[in-house]
Formats: sequence, structure tokens, C-alpha cells
Amino acid sequence: MKTNLRRQENGSALLWTVLVITVLSLFATEVLRLVSGRFQLGLQAAAWQESLMAAESGIDLAVVEMRKSLYPAPNHAWEDWENIPGNGVVSHGLTTIPNAGLASTPMTIEVNVDAPAQLIDPSTGWQYYRIRTLGSMPLTGPPRIGFKKEDNHLRKLTLRVQRFIDNLFTSETNSPHASRRLEAIVAPLSSFEQAVFSVGALNLNNQNIVIDSYDSRDAAKSTNGLYDESKRQEHGLIATNGALIQAGNAHIYGDVSTNSGTVTGVANVTGVQRTDFYQDPIPVGEPQWLSINPTPSQVNGTATLNASPTKGSIMSRYRLSTLSLSGTQTLTLAGNADGSPTYIEIYVSGDISAAGNSQMVLGPGVRATIYFMGNVDIAGKGVMNPANQPANLLFYGVHSDSSLARHVNLGGNGQISAAVYAPEHDVVVNGGGSSGHVFGSVVGKSVAMTGVTNLHYDEALAAGGIINNYKIVSWVEDTR
Amino acid sequence: MIVPTRTRAGGFLLYETMIAMTIFSAISMGLIMGFISLERSLMATTNFATNHTDAMRITDYLALDLRRALSIESTENDATIVIPSYYDGAGGPQTPQLDSNGDVFYGTSGAQVTIHYFLLNSTIYRQQDAAPPARIAENVSDFIFNVTDLGKVATTKITFKPTYVSSGASVAAIEGTAVYNTVLLRNSRIDTSSSVY
Repeated sequence: MKTNLRRQENGSALLWTVLVITVLSLFATEVLRLVSGRFQLGLQAAAWQESLMAAESGIDLAVVEMRKSLYPAPNHAWEDWENIPGNGVVSHGLTTIPNAGLASTPMTIEVNVDAPAQLIDPSTGWQYYRIRTLGSMPLTGPPRIGFKKEDNHLRKLTLRVQRFIDNLFTSETNSPHASRRLEAIVAPLSSFEQAVFSVGALNLNNQNIVIDSYDSRDAAKSTNGLYDESKRQEHGLIATNGALIQAGNAHIYGDVSTNSGTVTGVANVTGVQRTDFYQDPIPVGEPQWLSINPTPSQVNGTATLNASPTKGSIMSRYRLSTLSLSGTQTLTLAGNADGSPTYIEIYVSGDISAAGNSQMVLGPGVRATIYFMGNVDIAGKGVMNPANQPANLLFYGVHSDSSLARHVNLGGNGQISAAVYAPEHDVVVNGGGSSGHVFGSVVGKSVAMTGVTNLHYDEALAAGGIINNYKIVSWVEDTR
Repeated sequence: MIVPTRTRAGGFLLYETMIAMTIFSAISMGLIMGFISLERSLMATTNFATNHTDAMRITDYLALDLRRALSIESTENDATIVIPSYYDGAGGPQTPQLDSNGDVFYGTSGAQVTIHYFLLNSTIYRQQDAAPPARIAENVSDFIFNVTDLGKVATTKITFKPTYVSSGASVAAIEGTAVYNTVLLRNSRIDTSSSVY
């Protein structure tokens, strides 16, 4: 009897145990299914987001190479890439970056850069570039789709077979991964994008200086191509890579930007005050002209240099060791008598100076570009730019490996109408004629203005000059 | 004599049985109530997780379009985002071109694609131009999504009503479900003067 009773009890306990374990197992399975599914969804979403970061990093990598290409040679731009992009040539780069997150799975970045003919700016002739990138991240865990089809429509993943194949990228495989494709269009920027840009200190000194803009190309923003206060524009931007702008109670029709700095003495700013500004002060290399007009090799008195109707003509390219005027000496940059456009380029490997009552005179229609290695001191009657078009007179300070301080002192009795790009020179703009008005743009290692009451930035300058930066102007994600 | 004694010892008296049944009932009641609470909690948690997943998905959808936005208009539970017309009629990407102002366009100058997000009958839809709207989240009548245009960035906020408390979610509980996101608008805007970076 006892034995029988025990057998019945044992059987019942086993049955209950199995039943309870079964129920618990079912419960645990359901919980695991829910949790692991959501974990997998979270992991896939994270990989999908990371692949976007990878693709955006690809754009950054390409822009870095493009900016490197702006530096004087050797700049090592496009090293380890297939080609230098341009004129229909496509450059291709492939990078694998270690990733501390997501089980240390490395992200892959594939980049293509080209320069389609459709991306040449008709107004400036500048080439825009197209950057196409693929960022991909391996997916860890089982290759399983999400619970909801809406998630799968949004985050398109390759789980067993490569989801999307094109002829542009080659790094994708059949292994589970998330990938994103981006296309960015990058535009070149002029060295004269701002009214004033200083790498370091920026001191406007004068009380109540007015900085505004106009556009000599646009009748609605200028009159006969000249500044008109009634058509004043608000792109008189001033900026520094430094921390301080001493504006001297200025009235700025535009933005004021510092690099985590402060602005003192700004009474009126129509734009925004930013503190997150930084711009690479890309140096200008010595002109690499294969041939030049050999005479004169220097100017120490009254002289005439002829411009040419052909831009870049050998006959209008001069290399001078020094340019020095004094007394009543005059340097004339002569063009055509009818005032039709002519061009002249001068590289002064030494100093430029004009003292006494001397002056430099641009002939009608002449577009002059003057590169200089040494110091510039222009006083006397200054530089006569009769058309009063700043774009007709461009000064570029050339890069030097020397650590010696160099300067540009631009002044004189004449009206100053010019653009100066000298990121390694301390630039001082004096006066601006009897009215104190200066037309143009100034870039310097440091910039100071003395006796200047008005600085009028011609927005047309941004469509010329040398290219010293690139900017993303269009951004699209390929969501196929 | 021994056998009957053993037989009596194996049974229960009425009061013993009643006490046992009372204890069993109390324990069962407790277990059932606990199970019901557990189930409600599980349902609320599952609901919260599902809603949170929906909110994340809506956020990602919005971010996808906001990054490439040319212009934005929004009110509560309604957002219209204009993006470049990147694809041609066959669905392939088009070659970018420049207009006379140096602005980039795809296809024909001025061509755009309008994306409309809206909540209708407990479903949030994403509609591209005149195409049939696509469901991106269902059973979300308690959702509120907002897109705030800040010029160079746009922020999104999505909330829903959690179901942990049968009397209804408090304002604080709803606020606690908020999923925020800030998106840098990469494209030059056609509706503001702000630009890229």
C-alpha cells in the first residue's frame, strides 16, 4: 500500500514539475523573443545610424583633400587616392576605420569625387565638385528583419544578399550590413568672402565705423556699378580666428564672428554674432609661371607696365625684385585706350613702397593682380583705381617659410579701392582718402584700421580672386 | 485496530478542509491578482516599448527628410518638408546642374519634391508629392509630433500616453516619453537666408 501511494505521489510531482517548467519555459521564450527582437532592432538601428556617420565622414575626407590641394605645393593632396578629380576624372578612395562601439566592428567608407561639366559655374567659370560616399557597418547578430515592415522600409539593410548594387561602389558584399549613400556638391569659395577677416587681432579703431556691402554687378544693389548708400546691403561680414574684435562702436551691416571670443564696441549689428568661427588661412604660393615678360626686373622710378587683353598672357606677367616709388614718380599699369578689359599680373619678390607724392595708377579697364613676398608700404598719393572697382586691384601676400614679421600698410591720399589677401602679413589700412571711405575686402594675419570711417564690401569680389576654401552647397541622401 | 486508525489519520476534518480552502483561496486570489497586475504591467511595458519604437522610427523618418530639406512648414502633427528632386522618372539619380546664380538643382531648375507627414485616424503617414500616403506608424492616436524650424537646425519632439496607470497618464508621464532629435539642415534653404554650415 505504501509503495503504491509513493508511486502515485512521485508521478504527480513529476507531472507538476514538467508542467511548471513548460509554462515557465514558454514564458521565458516569449520574453526572450520580445527582448531579443527589440535588441536586434536597436542594434540594427544603431548600425544604420553609424553608417550615416561613416558616409558623412567620407564627405569630410574628400573636402579635406580638396582643401589640401589649395595649399602651395607640395601639399600631398589626393595621395593614396586613385586620381586627382577634375575634367571628368573620377577619384576614388576607400577607407576602413576602427570602431570602438558595436562589438568593435570596423566601418567602411568609400568615396568618389568627380567634376561633371554640368557643375561649372557659368558666372565665374569655377568648377564645383560632386562627392558621392558610401558608409557601411557590419550587422552583428542573426540576420533577422524587424517586427514591423515600417522599420524595414525605413532602414534598408543587407541581411543575406546584397540589397543594392550599382556601378559606383565596390566595397559592399553579401554579408549582413547597413549602408547609407550620400551625395554632396561642393562649391569653391573666394579668398574675399568677407569684408574683413583677420587670423588674429582685429581692431577697427575708429569710432562709429560703418561696414556694409554692395554688389557692383547688380543695379538693384549699386548705381552704375558703384556704391550707393540707398542700396546698402548687409553682407559686410567681419570675422576673426582669434578671440577679440575691437570694433570701436562700429555699425556692422552683416555678421560678426569670433572663435570663442568677444566683441567690444559694437553698437549695431544687423546680422548675427557668432562665436564658433574658424577659417583656415590658406597661404598663397609663389606664382609658378613658366614664362614671364623679363623686363623690367625691378621698378625704382617712373615706369609703365603693359597689360594684355589675354588673361594669363606671358607679356603681361612680370616678376620684380622690388617696386619702390618716391617723390613724384608714377607706376602706370597701362591697358587699352578704349578701356576694354586687360589683365596684368605682377609678382614682387621683395618689398613694395610708394612714398612722397608718388602713386600707382591703373589704366582704364585694367585688372591688376599683385603678388608680394615682402612688406607693402603705400602712402603718398596711393593707388589710383579710376573705375573704383575693388575687383580690378587684388593684392596677395605670398607664403614665406621665414618667421619674420611682415606687414602691409595701405594708405595714401587717394581713394582706396582694392582687395587684400595677406594671411601672413599684419595689415593696416590708413585713411581712405579725404572721405575715409574704403571699398573692397581685407584679409590679414592681423587687421587694423586707422582713419577709416566706412568700409564698403563689394559682393562681386566673392565671385573672383583665388579659391581658398570649399563649401557644401547641396546635400542629398540616396534612399533607394 | 491499527488499520482503522491509520485510515482516519489520512483524512481531514471539515474545519481542517475549510481552513485549507481559505488559505488556498487567499493564496490563489493573491496569485491571480499578482498575475493580473503582472500582465497589466507587461502589457503597459510592451505598449511603451512598441510606442517608443514607433517614436524612434518617426524620428528617423523625419530626420531623413529634414537633413536634405530645402524648406519646412509645420504645425502639431503635421509637417511639410521640401527636398531636392534627386530622382528621375525611372527612379535613378540625376546629374546635378547649376543655374545662373550658381545654385545646384536636379532635373529641371526649380524642381522639388514635397514630403507631407500627418496624423489621421490613429495612423501617421508620410506622403511624397501626390503618391498614396505610406503608413509609418499605426495605432498612434495618442501621439503628438512637432517639428520646430530653427533656421540652421530643426528639432523634432514626439510624445505618447503611457498606459501604466489605468486612470490615465499625467502630463509629466507624457512628457517623460518625449523623444527629442536635433537635425542640422545640410542644404541651403530656399525659405530663409541661412545657408550650409
